[in-house]
Amino acid sequence: MLAQKPTRSTLVAAVLMASVAMPALADKASETLNVAFTKELENVDSYFNSSREGVVLQRAIWDGLIYRNPETNEYVGNLATSWEWVDDTTLEFKLREGVTFHNGEAFNADDVVFTVNFVANEENGVKTQRNVNWMKSAEKIDDYTVRIHLKEKFPAAIEFLSGPVSMYPNEYYAEAGPSGMGLKPVGTGPYKVTEVVPGQHFVLEANGAYHDSPKGQPEIAKIDIRTIPDVNTQMAELFSGSLDLIWQVPADQANKLAQMGQFTVANESTMRVGYLQMDAAGRSGEDNPFTNKLVRQAVNHAINRQELVDALLQGSSKVVYTPCFPSQFGCVQDVTEYDYDPEKAKALLAEAGYPDGFSIDFYAYRDRQYAEAITSYLNAVGITTNFNMLQYSALREKNMNGEVALSFQTWGSYSINDASAMVSQFFKHGALDSTRDDEVLEWLNVADSSTAPDTRVEYYTKALQKITGEAFWAPMFTYNTNYVFKDEVAYTPTSDEVLRFVDMSWN
Amino acid sequence: MTDVTDPLAAEIHGPSPRQLLKARALSHKGLIFGMMVVLLLVLVAILAPVLAPHDPYAQSLMNRMVPPVFMGGTWEHPLGTDHLGRDYLSRLIYGARVSLMIGAIAALISGVIGTAMGVAAGYFGGKVDAVVTFLINVRLAMPVVLVALAVVAILGGSLTVVICVLGLLLWDRFAVVMRASTLQISRRDYVAAAQVIGASTPRILLTEIMPNVFNNLIVIVTLEMAHAILLEAALSFLGLGVQPPTPSWGLMVSEGKNMMLFEPWLVLIPGAVLFVLVLAINLMGDGLRDVTAPEGRS
Repeated sequence: MLAQKPTRSTLVAAVLMASVAMPALADKASETLNVAFTKELENVDSYFNSSREGVVLQRAIWDGLIYRNPETNEYVGNLATSWEWVDDTTLEFKLREGVTFHNGEAFNADDVVFTVNFVANEENGVKTQRNVNWMKSAEKIDDYTVRIHLKEKFPAAIEFLSGPVSMYPNEYYAEAGPSGMGLKPVGTGPYKVTEVVPGQHFVLEANGAYHDSPKGQPEIAKIDIRTIPDVNTQMAELFSGSLDLIWQVPADQANKLAQMGQFTVANESTMRVGYLQMDAAGRSGEDNPFTNKLVRQAVNHAINRQELVDALLQGSSKVVYTPCFPSQFGCVQDVTEYDYDPEKAKALLAEAGYPDGFSIDFYAYRDRQYAEAITSYLNAVGITTNFNMLQYSALREKNMNGEVALSFQTWGSYSINDASAMVSQFFKHGALDSTRDDEVLEWLNVADSSTAPDTRVEYYTKALQKITGEAFWAPMFTYNTNYVFKDEVAYTPTSDEVLRFVDMSWN
Repeated sequence: MTDVTDPLAAEIHGPSPRQLLKARALSHKGLIFGMMVVLLLVLVAILAPVLAPHDPYAQSLMNRMVPPVFMGGTWEHPLGTDHLGRDYLSRLIYGARVSLMIGAIAALISGVIGTAMGVAAGYFGGKVDAVVTFLINVRLAMPVVLVALAVVAILGGSLTVVICVLGLLLWDRFAVVMRASTLQISRRDYVAAAQVIGASTPRILLTEIMPNVFNNLIVIVTLEMAHAILLEAALSFLGLGVQPPTPSWGLMVSEGKNMMLFEPWLVLIPGAVLFVLVLAINLMGDGLRDVTAPEGRS
């Protein structure tokens, strides 16, 4: 940003702040923390949404068998007290005793068996199959011992069990189902839900009877979450005191808020990677330009990644060349890197038979500003883009039908610290695979199912080197998130883009 | 004899209708102001490549959101730069092209459709009139913005689509006014006289009817042009109109919206220009009405 000192615009903001002053609805005194979500959450049931907001609520309302400490990345027991591999595809858990769900139902092996069998069954339609489809079934040994059977060897199992796989109450879930669970969620987590207005308003209250969990005990009595899509409105409410914490604040606004000196502005990197997806498999048309490796390389050379990171994303974002987040296990960085070289891009396009460039539909679903900047780079080397901004679900469907030749995509890996959460999601010939490379599939199969870390790294390396060498994608940058909150809130954000209410307290 | 010749003589020696029109036009401040502003913006649009200090598409991420001169910026970018570091003044100048082009072409398309329908209904009456009136009612029953949104959402936003959609939607006022005016004119004696001497229908329409409804037509054209410009801005603001990187004032407002709290000029500048253009076109329309049909002044 240009302005280093309080500028006229911050003064304008201060005036606006005064003009929108409303009675402070809540703060430390009322023991209520007011939080804003930007996007509407379709269903609170964590298996039936695929959004970041859903992950945030999932971590507050439910618990997994295992917990990964976001600081140390160490796995500790949560609903399970211990676990061991019986063989390559069987995990046995000893469950914690004396845990009850928010509705009073006691937690035991039946709940685990029911939950696992329900979500692992593809017919039940869990939204992100990748999170659960490695499990075959669960088996009760006794009331507090349970075994989970895997379809095949899956070394990332512990990571997934500490992340998206949370335990549901069997009796309640059998009766309420995903829609009932979405309206009246019941879990074992540190916060219980007292009010749900779908997509709009969620009220959480501290679970006074929370078990002795590694997540810690909730300190803030009440969390009130509202969906406010417009970031200006969010900031105005923050000024007026009717919001205490906002997150996912764009870098420009976060800088200005930091200059005002009244709020804590924390920046943390996230696992989200932004990339251009190109239709190398020719699903959108045999003759589409991206079936040509030279064109894909030209796209990679056309993008000034460093400038995007420095000027737009800012914060702790990094340039990335791999189709995975660098901290993820197996995400080796020893890959082909494409430097910013528009002349080379033009030369490659000419060599590919497009001396005058070509025109193509360009799709994006978020961060319009980044998308515009990217198209501007492409236009500069002769790739004319017809800009289309769609909703995520609409673009995803188009993508699954193979109708998208070029799109700006992002993937947050569900904060799973393993390369399989991203590479294997998109390069194993699934509906979202735009490349369909047989060799990559073969290598990823080995890497995903091997239990030997060395073998995994070796095969991920092979796959990643081929993906980058062939320029199947144009990975560009990692995201960061800005958290802005009042000084009376104490919170240290973690690098996995999960807002943890249980870690927050009043100063 | 003098009783008859005196007023005649006075009329002959007085100012001609054209001179009267000119005098009225020159003394009408709103008309003069509106015309000057519109003329100026048309010139700006035509001369955009000469006037614009920078390439409106040239992105410079290191120079983002430079404030305009009057807020502490430099003359390098008199109106500052936008969120991608593109020169705001240049985008504004090129944006004038988009706005005026959409306004003019949409008004032309709807003008042709509406006038043809209205004049036919007014002149022929009977079944033709019934059909046209029915079509007008159907069209009036559809909310313009909603239909435009739906069509653009289905076909995808682009300059051509927006122009066509607006052109095909805004003909109702032309049809209504032209029908009423034609109905009035076609009962006049000179039309009957033309019919009696055996003039063909096209000839009567072109030489007797059209010149006499032209005043009204001009007024509607200006109204609808302003209407189309505003609708384009609204569609672009919603992300369904002109697509980036094409500079459009509505799109500029939309892109500046996120920074409204801290960089209000990003929204204020294109908003103000849009306001001035629409105001000027409306003043021009009102002025033309006053000047050409002084009895319509209220």
